[in-house]
Amino acid sequence: MRHGKYPFILSFLALPVGLYAWLVILPFAQAFQISLTDWSGSSNQFNYIGLDNYVNLFKDENLVMPAIRHTAIIVVALPVITIALGLFFAFMLNIGGRSRQGRIEGVRGARFHKIVYFFPQVLSVAIVGILWQQVYAPQNFGGLITGTLDLFGLPAPVNGFLADKRFVLVSVIAVLVWSSVGFYLVFFSSAMASIPRDLYEAGIIDGAGRIQTFFKITLPLLWDSVQTAWIYLSIVALDVFVLVYMMTPDRGGPDSASEVVGGVIWKYAFNNGEQAFASALGVVLFFAALTLAVVSLRFGRREQIEY
Amino acid sequence: MQHQALYNEAFGDAEIEFLATQAISETQQPRFAEGKPADVLDNSGAQQIPLDSLVSDGELVELTPLLDAPSYDDPEVTVRETLRDGVLESGMFNGEFYVLNYVYSAWTIWYNAKLFRDKGWTAPATWDEMLALCEDIKAEGIAPWTYAGKHPVYLYDWFLMLAGRHGGVEVVRAIDHLEPDAWRHDSVRAAAEAMYGLWESGYILEGTPGIDHIQSQTAFNEDRAAFIPCGSWLPNEQSAIAPEDFEYMPIGVPYLEGSVQPGLISAGGEEPFVVPKNATNLAGAAEYLRIMLSAEGSQIFGDTVQATTVVKGVVLDNPAAKATDALVADPENLFQPRFRFWYKTMDDEVRAALGALMSGESTPDELIERMQTVADETAADDNIEKFTHDE
Repeated sequence: MRHGKYPFILSFLALPVGLYAWLVILPFAQAFQISLTDWSGSSNQFNYIGLDNYVNLFKDENLVMPAIRHTAIIVVALPVITIALGLFFAFMLNIGGRSRQGRIEGVRGARFHKIVYFFPQVLSVAIVGILWQQVYAPQNFGGLITGTLDLFGLPAPVNGFLADKRFVLVSVIAVLVWSSVGFYLVFFSSAMASIPRDLYEAGIIDGAGRIQTFFKITLPLLWDSVQTAWIYLSIVALDVFVLVYMMTPDRGGPDSASEVVGGVIWKYAFNNGEQAFASALGVVLFFAALTLAVVSLRFGRREQIEY
Repeated sequence: MQHQALYNEAFGDAEIEFLATQAISETQQPRFAEGKPADVLDNSGAQQIPLDSLVSDGELVELTPLLDAPSYDDPEVTVRETLRDGVLESGMFNGEFYVLNYVYSAWTIWYNAKLFRDKGWTAPATWDEMLALCEDIKAEGIAPWTYAGKHPVYLYDWFLMLAGRHGGVEVVRAIDHLEPDAWRHDSVRAAAEAMYGLWESGYILEGTPGIDHIQSQTAFNEDRAAFIPCGSWLPNEQSAIAPEDFEYMPIGVPYLEGSVQPGLISAGGEEPFVVPKNATNLAGAAEYLRIMLSAEGSQIFGDTVQATTVVKGVVLDNPAAKATDALVADPENLFQPRFRFWYKTMDDEVRAALGALMSGESTPDELIERMQTVADETAADDNIEKFTHDE
């Protein structure tokens, strides 16, 4: 058997690797090629025009530059807020409760909370979009937040949150956080469950409070999970498009105030008939994602703790 | 689909493969790229393949031979002669005819005739009459105007017709032709100021910039707003939704004082049918379009969807369609502003700018300078193919 090992393994790998190469690697490679042309997307004719598309990308103050700025904001804000909230909730639900007779527990009703927080995760993005569109709607059209603010006599944007340049991006980010926090709560909970209880007990005996326990014991031991979450969320942040497409005025408005890179790629590829330009932006996005992943893996590396 | 039956009557052994989809660019663009497009394509809706790029890529068949062919019903008359005035214009790209817009529609302002009758209001003809009426409307607790704030494209024809009526069709044609300072024309400024004035006076239903077309049309159906700008398809679209006694009636854009062409109206073909150059059955495609344009073909369409086609003589018996017909009666007054379809960047810009103007985010001057800037950039960019109205 040892003798025919490699042909045997290869025969299993050939199909999946082939499919992967054909359906994933090849289109990626093609995007690079297309980005060097002037292809419109609806013809089989094109010319090579060098790096013109890349140069023009950064001159586009109408769509591309706002989109890059907004995406950058989301890439920073989404992981930070989601992970912070996810960790906080997970800690409270697993460890943060009062210790009774030396046992470490979460706050009361932890199981119930876990399920409720997870709800948004099972909704499809389309439903989330429609739901929140109504939540953010103008008061005159049954907006939930605007209506509530008004009830307490507080000022609310008269056209709703999504039609207001100042609030639209924040509103989109809030929905993203809302819909992903539940998953990371469960994710961090399961990671916390694998931390041995005696570490906490030792900490409590030494007189550590909840905050100290969290920063001195939980967080360091969860570092790998946090890192994974960070990379996932960064990729989600770079990709964010569906919510912007569904909720905001003119799919990225008002007046480009919520334009994101994914949306601009779509606009150029399918609305404007500039497939090549869209590909160039796609390539830039690809490298941004790659850099982000590499950087966070490199610099996030810590000493492994065996337990 | 009944058109296919007609086609099969003529060509018994033809098999027609038919796909109805909204995802046109997603499903059909790859077929163009592959060189195996459909024979006939109704490239319509939000996800259409941009026509300007199909034309400039040379992917479409020039359809003049179809226009000069004898019509289906009477060999003595050419297809061209059976069509309404001004409908070919929108399918023209630099004098060549590529796109057959099949459905005839006009951009108008709608009001509920029943509501107006009950309250004793008369539909206004001029902008000043409209403003005076706005006070009365407001006094009744109804907002004078609403529109689809999330899709400011609904403001486009309203705005351009207001300018065009004031200064004459040349004003809007100059905009389409990217002429220097076209946007700085006094009539354009007057139109921008008039529309901004609606916002300033609080004549727009509160929250309008944050709602989509469905919400604004629903508000209109509920008489929460008195006027709404939309195309002539609106009553049919709303027939199942609007209250039983709701009476959709159209007026042209109320014109400003001193307007030189107060009858100007944006009307023409919609539903762009095209024949790809690489289609397998070019002759069949042309014949299919010829059958669609026959008297029977267009009457079938009219009866089914209560909308007129570009063919003359389709009879519809609803009052809204008749009123629309009266508005578009004079061929001298028909004009479709086209820059939005010709230059995508200007389309993006004009929508954002109009949205900002009508929500008080920017002033008329800012709108004009902004549009003039993008028009000048477009004119100066040699990579963008330029189009003109033919005269």
